[in-house]
Amino acid sequence: MSDTTPIDLYEPYEWKHPTVVAGVPWKNPVGTASGTFQFAAVRWFYDVSQLGAVCTKGVSPVPWEGNPGVRTAEGPASNVNAVGLQNPGVDHYLVDDLPKLKKIGANVISNVAGRCDDDYAEVVAKLADSPADMLEINVSCPNVSHGGMSVGTDPVALSKLITRLRKLTDKPMIVKLTPNVTDITVPARAAVEAGADALSLINTIVGMRINTRTGKPIIDHVTGGVSGPAVLPIGLARVWQVRTALPDIPIIGLGGIDSGEKALEYLYAGANAVEVGAAALFDPIAPLRVARELDALLDERPELAAKLAAGKTWR
Amino acid sequence: MTTDAFIPTVSAADRAKLEHSEALVASAVSHGWFPPRHTVEITGMRELDTNVMCMTIRDPYIAQHGRPAQFVDFFTHDPMRLMPRPFGIGEINGDEVSFIFAVVGEGTRQFAAMRAGDVIDVLGPLGRPFRTKEDANYVLVAGGLGVPPVIAAAQHIAGLEGSRSTAVFGYRKNHFADDIVARYADTVHSIDESEGNVITVLDRIEDELKASDLPPVILSCGPMPMMKAIATWAAKRDIPCQFSLEQRMGCGYGTCVLCTTDTVDGRLKVCADGPVFTREQLGWE
Repeated sequence: MSDTTPIDLYEPYEWKHPTVVAGVPWKNPVGTASGTFQFAAVRWFYDVSQLGAVCTKGVSPVPWEGNPGVRTAEGPASNVNAVGLQNPGVDHYLVDDLPKLKKIGANVISNVAGRCDDDYAEVVAKLADSPADMLEINVSCPNVSHGGMSVGTDPVALSKLITRLRKLTDKPMIVKLTPNVTDITVPARAAVEAGADALSLINTIVGMRINTRTGKPIIDHVTGGVSGPAVLPIGLARVWQVRTALPDIPIIGLGGIDSGEKALEYLYAGANAVEVGAAALFDPIAPLRVARELDALLDERPELAAKLAAGKTWR
Repeated sequence: MTTDAFIPTVSAADRAKLEHSEALVASAVSHGWFPPRHTVEITGMRELDTNVMCMTIRDPYIAQHGRPAQFVDFFTHDPMRLMPRPFGIGEINGDEVSFIFAVVGEGTRQFAAMRAGDVIDVLGPLGRPFRTKEDANYVLVAGGLGVPPVIAAAQHIAGLEGSRSTAVFGYRKNHFADDIVARYADTVHSIDESEGNVITVLDRIEDELKASDLPPVILSCGPMPMMKAIATWAAKRDIPCQFSLEQRMGCGYGTCVLCTTDTVDGRLKVCADGPVFTREQLGWE
């Protein structure tokens, strides 16, 4: 990992292969994944405005404290986490992270969290007049008791929520889907028919670890969301299925990407762009490294690169 | 026939990794960025006690910038075990930095099996250090595996003009870190479970602390019940305390929000807002 990071990573760089997601140009097809991005932490490591997009951590109408106690456990080639969407609230976001990211020229996706429809509506209404470039509606967090995944697994509730949010904003609206369903094309279709401009998938998969000394779950919340290289095949299959069912909807693919090669798999599965999540927990500059690796791999694949640049996908 | 002393040798492949990492860190720093995860050489690995290891690495950046209670993320070579293991910075000598860790699972077992001449990936120094600006008699209270941050504090304070340090170490059995901290602390007290705990020692030296011309300030790291007992002891005597906390971490640099602790200012990140918190912040009385 560190031995494959290019030494010229910090030099000015001219991106060769852009993409377009729901009409929004990205300078390259790689962004950060919402739950793993805190600007205050990442800003010391690299220039995040170099990325195709920066998707910020979910914001709610008021500050949320998240889950108490132990929130994480390691899994094989993965991490299990149960943060519970701790965040300082949308008002803080509007005067802190968002203006700071826009000031450095980042393409910003604001992730929206809620415990009920009114929560989502309040945040979307506040972000509607903000400088955010895109909104991402998080209906797939497995670690909150209301909202989150409970909406994303119910196509009727999802359709009702997205229909309501659609009226509140003209900004491109991405719906982030959970893989914790039997057929992901059902909520995917519901979101698109209700007015989603794009889909991002996958959010984390419900999982847990048990301490064999005590016989108890390691995480206080009992279960958490699994992410990391272990989930790559699952994310790819979900993107493939949604692309097959919905040939025209822009898709951001994520799950297990820690190299340009793995990002490329998602593009061949039909994604317009990708996001890097858990890899940033064990390599802070992973998103930028993946973007650079992918830029080189696309040099050798002019047909795919041309499609992405035109807002189209491989399949 | 004579036998040469064992000289650790780095393989050609590892040497290439080290050179690449050195250039990568230099590039990051010259452009004003924090060093990314990079590969360093292990220069020492020894067992201090049963399942307690002391590992030394060569890392000029961490040696120069690391402060007491800051920590470094260590990464296994095992693709199944990707998450960092955070270890507190201990002694710093020239370009070399030492860490003390316990073998508690498969990841740390893999570290313990490494030898001088092997390479390992690191990220750091991370977290906020102990504050030692005031002239004081710093009372360094550590229990078990909590010793590295206060060893680093003793070393740092030894270089300060107006301050001194008094180490108070509590062990289960073997006093494995006394000789290390004795190189730097002005006074060393230690105790094991056969005799009592760190509070026993603090009671014994209370008059001595009061008689000192320098006000006492407690810097502490160790098991949670020990630190809470110290907070209670210190609150009664109005002695300021800074605690270096441990929590199951994710990234170690503040992006994942997995390692929080409850404070009077809300739920804060142990890795980035801490690991050092004052007694008042934690609301411990």
